Order: sequence, then C-alpha cells, then structure tokens
Amino acid sequence: MKIIVLNCGSSSIKYQLFDLPSREVLAKGLVDKIGLKGSLIKHSRNDGTEVKLEGEILDHQIGIEYLLGILISEKYGSIKNLEEIQAVGHRVVHAGEKFNGSVYITPEVIAALEECIDLAPLHNPPNLKGIYSITKLLPHVPQVGVFDTAFHQTMPDFVYLYGIPFSLYEKYKIRRYGFHGSSHRYVSKRAAQMLGKKLEDIRVITCHLGNGASIAAVKNGKSLDTSMGMTPIEGLMMGTRTGDLDIGAFIQIMNKEELDITVANTLVNKHSGMLGVSGVSSDMRDVEKAAEEGNERAKVTLEMYYYRIRKYIGAYAAAMGGVDAIVFTGGVGENDALTRYKTTAEMEFMGIRFDQEKNKGLRGKEAVLSTPESAVSIMVIPTNEELVIAEDTYEIVTNLK
Amino acid sequence: MSERLEDFSLGKSMQPKGSIQKVGVVGCGAMGQEIAVLISQSGIDVAFIDVSDDRISEVMMRIEKQLDERISKWGLTASEKKLILSRIKGSTDYSSLSDCDIVFETVNSKKKGTSLELRQEIFKKIEAVVRPDTVIASNTATLMISEISSVLKNPGRAMGLHFYSPVSKVKIIESVRSVYTTDETFGIVNKLALLIGKKLIRVNESAGNISTRMLVPLINEACEILMEGVATVSDIDETMKETSGLQLGPFEMADKIGLDKVLKWMENLYIEFGEHKYKPSPVLKRMVRANLVGRRVGEGFYLYQGEKRMPKQGSITNLGRA
Repeated sequence: MKIIVLNCGSSSIKYQLFDLPSREVLAKGLVDKIGLKGSLIKHSRNDGTEVKLEGEILDHQIGIEYLLGILISEKYGSIKNLEEIQAVGHRVVHAGEKFNGSVYITPEVIAALEECIDLAPLHNPPNLKGIYSITKLLPHVPQVGVFDTAFHQTMPDFVYLYGIPFSLYEKYKIRRYGFHGSSHRYVSKRAAQMLGKKLEDIRVITCHLGNGASIAAVKNGKSLDTSMGMTPIEGLMMGTRTGDLDIGAFIQIMNKEELDITVANTLVNKHSGMLGVSGVSSDMRDVEKAAEEGNERAKVTLEMYYYRIRKYIGAYAAAMGGVDAIVFTGGVGENDALTRYKTTAEMEFMGIRFDQEKNKGLRGKEAVLSTPESAVSIMVIPTNEELVIAEDTYEIVTNLK
Repeated sequence: MSERLEDFSLGKSMQPKGSIQKVGVVGCGAMGQEIAVLISQSGIDVAFIDVSDDRISEVMMRIEKQLDERISKWGLTASEKKLILSRIKGSTDYSSLSDCDIVFETVNSKKKGTSLELRQEIFKKIEAVVRPDTVIASNTATLMISEISSVLKNPGRAMGLHFYSPVSKVKIIESVRSVYTTDETFGIVNKLALLIGKKLIRVNESAGNISTRMLVPLINEACEILMEGVATVSDIDETMKETSGLQLGPFEMADKIGLDKVLKWMENLYIEFGEHKYKPSPVLKRMVRANLVGRRVGEGFYLYQGEKRMPKQGSITNLGRA
C-alpha cells in the first residue's frame, strides 16, 4: 500500500512516500518557503535521483499539488497515477484531550482538531491546512491523523494536573500534555524488541534529545510521565528554550524588563536554553567546541544540560519503581557520545554499567551501550516518526476495509 | 535548469491572484522605517526611496539600531534581524519600485503648511514607474486620500493606510477608501494586512480618522490645564495613564510624535472643521517656534538623554526652562 506521510509546518511541508508493509521509502522531500519569496521543492527518489524545483508556492494546497505532480511525473516520479496513493498520514501536533491514539480523519475529527487550535496556535493550523488540502485534492483517499500528544494521554491525573486552581483546568484545559509522542512510542517499542522482551513487562526511560528535548517514563508500554507540559517549554533545558523555570523568577523578569506577552514568549522560546546561558549557540556541537576551548559559560551550560537529564532519569526511575532500559534518541541522543556518557555515568547504584568503549564514536545507529551485567540497558535507537505515522496509517486504513 | 515547478501542476488548485512579494516605501522617516521592518519581518521584500545616498545609509543604520534595541529587549533574535535586514533595500531611484505590489508614501515634511502638494507629487512619481495593478497608499493622518489621489491617472488604485507607532505593537491600521478606490485595491490591502498580522479598521474619509482626531483635543486640553497652572506636566501625564489606561500621557505622546507634527495635524483639522477644539494651544506654537519639538531634538515638554526622560524644572511661562 502506497502511503504519503505529511508534516506541515507554517511555511514548509516535509513528505515521504512509503510502501507498506515493506516499510520502503520510495521518495521524500521538502516543500519550503511556502508563501514567501524563493519557494521551492527539494525531492529525492530512492534510486538517488534528486531534483530542486523553484517556483511560486503561495499556499500549502499548491505545494501539495506540486509534490503530487512530481510523484506521478515520468522523470522524477515513483508512481504512475494518483490512484496508486491509498492513504495519507498527517503529523498533527496537538490533539488536547480529544484523542489518545491515531485516528481516521472524518469531518468530526477535523472539527475536534479545530477546537485544539488554541492549545497550539503555531502548529495546529498548518497541520490542518495539510488535511484540508488532501480533502480537496484527493477526496476519496482516506486520511489518518497521528498526534504528538496522543501517546502521553495515558498519564494519570496526578501527573498531568498542575498545582493551579482546578477551575483553570476546567475552563481552558490547562494541564500537562507532553510532546514527541510518536518518537517516545517508537523507541520504547523498539527497545523491547531489541532486548527480546515484551514491552508490557519493562520500564523504559526514553530521552528524545534534539533541538527540542523531552524525556518520558514509559511503564509497561504506557507513558506515565514526560518532561514537556502544556507547551514544549517545560522540562529539560533545550537549544533555545528554558526548560523548567520558577514562575516567580519569570514574573520578576517580566516586571523588571517590562515585557509584554509576545516578547515574554520570545524570551523563553528563542533567547534561552543553551544559547541564552552560553551566549555561543543553540547547537550542541558549537557549545561543546567552545567548552573545549576553555569558554567557562559554555562549560557550565553543558553541565546544566547533563544535570537536568540526570535529574529526570533519577526522578522517572523513582516514579516507575525502577528502570530496565534508558534509550537515547534525537539528533543529540543519537550522535553525541559525550552527552550519553555524562548523563548516565556514576549511576552504578542503580545497577548501570556503562561501556564507554561501545559508546565512543557511535553515531546514528541502534546499539546497546551497557555491559551484559548491567541491570539497566543503555541504548541508542534512531527515531523514525515518519515510519510511525506510515504504520499507524496502514493499520487504520487496512482495518477500515 | 529549464524545468519549472509549474510544469508539475495538476491544474486542480487556482493560484490565488495578486500575491504580495514586494512592497515599496517612499520617504523612510521614523514611521517609514517601522513600516519597512514590519513588512520585511513578514517575509516580504521592501524597497524604500529616499533623497540621497547618505540618507539611505542613515536609514539602514537607524533600522539596524531599532532592531538591536528589540533584541536587547528580547523581542527578536540575531538571526531574525539578519533576515529582516536582508530583505530591505534603499535607493534614490523610483524605478526600483517598478515590481512592487503596494507602495506606501510616508513622507514627513518639515515645511510649513500642508504636505498635500508634496504627497501628490510623490503619488505621480510612483504611478509613473509601477505596474497598472500596483496599489499606492498614503500614511497621511489628516489629509484626504481622495484629494491626494486625484492627481493620479488611475485614482482607483489609491488608499489611505494610517499606521500607528510603535507599529510592531499596535495591532490595527486605519484604512480609508477614497471615493475612487476600487474593490480590487481594497482586496490587495486586505491581503497585506493578513500577511503582516494587522487588523484593518475601516474609516470613512474624514480628516484625522479616529486616532488623530481623538488625540489632538487631548493634547490641546492638557496644554490648557498646564497653562492655567492646575498641575505639572508629569502629574497630568501620570494621572491620564493611571485613569484612562493610556500607555503614554498626552505630553509624553506629543514629545514622541514631535510637536511640529502635532501642530500640523491641529492646523489641518482646524482648517477642515473650523472647530475651536482643534485650534493649536499657544504653548504648542511657542514650543515649535523655539524648536523644542520633543524627543527627536532632546527637549519638548520633557528633557531627553537617550532613552531617559526627565521633567523640566522651570515655569511654563518660560516653556519649562529653568
């Protein structure tokens, strides 16, 4: 079954054409600068053919129409006609409390997602544009929504509620939701497979460390807790986001710097985190380089980064009453040996035996980094959110028939 | 590469007509600079026209300073600044406006009397170089768009669009259709407003629109209270901010706008309506004659050192000077 996976951002669309159940990626690409000057599509086929096409792309629907046109074109295409496309899977950021799993998209689902715009005003509208466009362009093709928040809907109320007046939860649904759900789900499931165990029997801490970063406590296959909350700002310190921050301190900042809401939002989302503390960069590699060259603020930035991850690992081990595996994923988690070492070193008390030899130089490959005696398996598993979306779509559409 | 993206169209979607790719700004004073930044920030190219090469480098420098200030106040990042600057280009040559979708006239005349003729002159120069479907807009507060645009061959393309400072924060633009303005013109302006995240407030053609007409008597009345010795400059400002939710008091506002500009608004409104309430206060006239026109020159109703504002110590009979 040929399935298109779409990840629509405010001015870009990432796409992949999958063949399921073989999991083969037939083609993928990026529609970029939608509605801006210099818009283009970069497309590549699995035989290595690559092409960059420039032209006017005024909105998401036109971008999607062009990418479909490329997919069926003689020169760059992978399929003969649009009828070969049997399903489309969409990444949708926020589904609030509406959905705890991926769903077949109906008008009712679209209406429910429209109600969630308030919760993710930057992300959900472009996601919805992708859905509207496919509805118009491929009206008979079933669509499936896969949500970043869905996997964490298993969090119990005592985990997801904030210590604020309950009426605010009732009025505005202010609570913790968590993100990177497809990634945490994929790597925890994959960890169980690699360990030869049932996911229902193990406790996994999954560390998704990219430009945005979150950790999840996955107990018996269900998300018990995760570090991101109502928004992706909570939790770990990230490239440019603060992570956990005392609200009293923040009120003081707003007061002293006379910030309005928009500016306050920019401060905590774009000026903070590793970039804000180090003054060097939001990119881990730049900060590590500066630290090696003796930059003191870069050094403390790294220590903060590691420490917060360690703190969450400790907290989640306690929350789950133990841990069987710790998984690293995301750009930093998959590629940065130093981060993996620094966040799990000297944790022998938990039964961790880390094998630095296996860790060193390992980049972007599945691996177990702990020794066979280690009570806790330390693992690297490259994430694949697009595959999760494709497989969910496949499963849901197959069951429709 | 000879292939075009359009060759891959399935012919199912209509390209929405009249996308906005480039906007022109003629007369890049304080307001023109703010408008240029706002538009560039929304991913649209900006071409501005000013009188000399020196003036153009000065404008670029001021825009950069404006952006640096926003970075230091956390409202912007360094990479956003780079992007914004890369889309703004200055020239003395009107022909750089030829491919603009909308051109704003935002001149700031220092001469006495109204700027009607100057604005008309600029409108004609713009029309001579742009496409037939390009919208020409004026940022005038107190002049009539029907009158300014009457000199155009196609006055249907003109509109009044009055921005309010600080442009990055104020969410509205007063939009004025002349008797000639076509629906197509209004449609393009609507699209721009959507792209730059502003709401259009529709105003029927009338001098001073809403904002200026309300502001002028406020400043005038504040001057009356001051002249009668009822209260001090800073006490009047503080009272109005606390009780009316104003962000700036009337004197702070007047200093920021420039007293010469405020005076010109008042004169225009007074000529238009003949109402006593718009007649410029003698204090204001004296201040402008002494060139104590506000923040721009370091002294108005207050004294300024950079961003810092200090009250003046002297009596109003000596314009507050000790």
